[in-house]
Amino acid sequence: MDEEYDVEFIEREERSAKFLVRGVTPAFANGIRRAMIADVPTLAIDEVRFIENSSVMFDEQIALRLGLVPLSTPPNEFDEDDVVTLSLDVSGPATAYSGDIVSSDEMVQPAEENVPIIDLKDGQRLELEADAVLSTGKDHAKHQGGVSVGYRHLQRVETVGDRGEFEDVDPEIYRGVIQEGDELVDTEEFDHDLTNRYPDQEVAVEDVEHAFVFSVETDGSMSVEELFTRAVESLDARAAELEDAVSL
Amino acid sequence: MELRVIENTEDELSIEIAGEDHTFMNVLKGTLLEAENVGAATYDMNPEQSGGQTEPILTIKTENGADPLEELEAAAAEIRSKTAALTDAFDDAAA
Repeated sequence: MDEEYDVEFIEREERSAKFLVRGVTPAFANGIRRAMIADVPTLAIDEVRFIENSSVMFDEQIALRLGLVPLSTPPNEFDEDDVVTLSLDVSGPATAYSGDIVSSDEMVQPAEENVPIIDLKDGQRLELEADAVLSTGKDHAKHQGGVSVGYRHLQRVETVGDRGEFEDVDPEIYRGVIQEGDELVDTEEFDHDLTNRYPDQEVAVEDVEHAFVFSVETDGSMSVEELFTRAVESLDARAAELEDAVSL
Repeated sequence: MELRVIENTEDELSIEIAGEDHTFMNVLKGTLLEAENVGAATYDMNPEQSGGQTEPILTIKTENGADPLEELEAAAAEIRSKTAALTDAFDDAAA
């Protein structure tokens, strides 16, 4: 296959993006999707030492909640065995939020400030120390950097004639991105219904080969660009390992 | 990644690739099938609880006298050039 890849962003925000990738095979697109979900490591709290927990919940329940707080994970700074220590000290009456977590490492911070951990009543107190470790989504979902990752075929829409004047019009729902000539249009623009965009015309819709629109959302531990690049890197690392192993 | 050759003849290779899952195996299979001298490529993987062979086994059949092991090596190299080209294209778009 020719290696003419082309990437084009359709939507781009800090934590979510939609982009078109041309030139990839279905197998490769799915490899990247799977790698984004399960193989890109992120930091998450894995062990908690409680100093005081007079809240209404068990230590284990609070530890689980702490684990689910996304932590910013700078690229190439941490190895699988590294540990980052964080602490939390909140006295009631107050709610302990993820933003109250104090990190020992400037680079590692809760990606979300407003995740409630527990509501503390008068006289209740939570004080703890936690260790965050680097691992992959394959190991535990709390290490999943890509929260919602998927792709759809890009679809080409062509008008093929006029619609009969007195015909009943059924909605033609498509979700994703369509291509009209050379232009890309998000189906959101016409409420996902092609009959809104082409009220009087018959249209033909077909998948564009080797063109996939990825929709990626991260948990805030890294940017979409970072996640994608590192997913591709992880495929590359495995190919390199195989190449080495075979050539011996 | 640990490799164990199960069968290796002139035009057929069965090899266990321990530690990999569908993520990489399907990419590898897809890339092998694009090669000119590969007649057939497939992999078989059983679920964790099946009690049998759970590591993936890749099987390659080649044509025109090509060495299956060399085809495997070439496919790995091909994946690497694909990932490099894709990363470049993505960085261009993201810049």
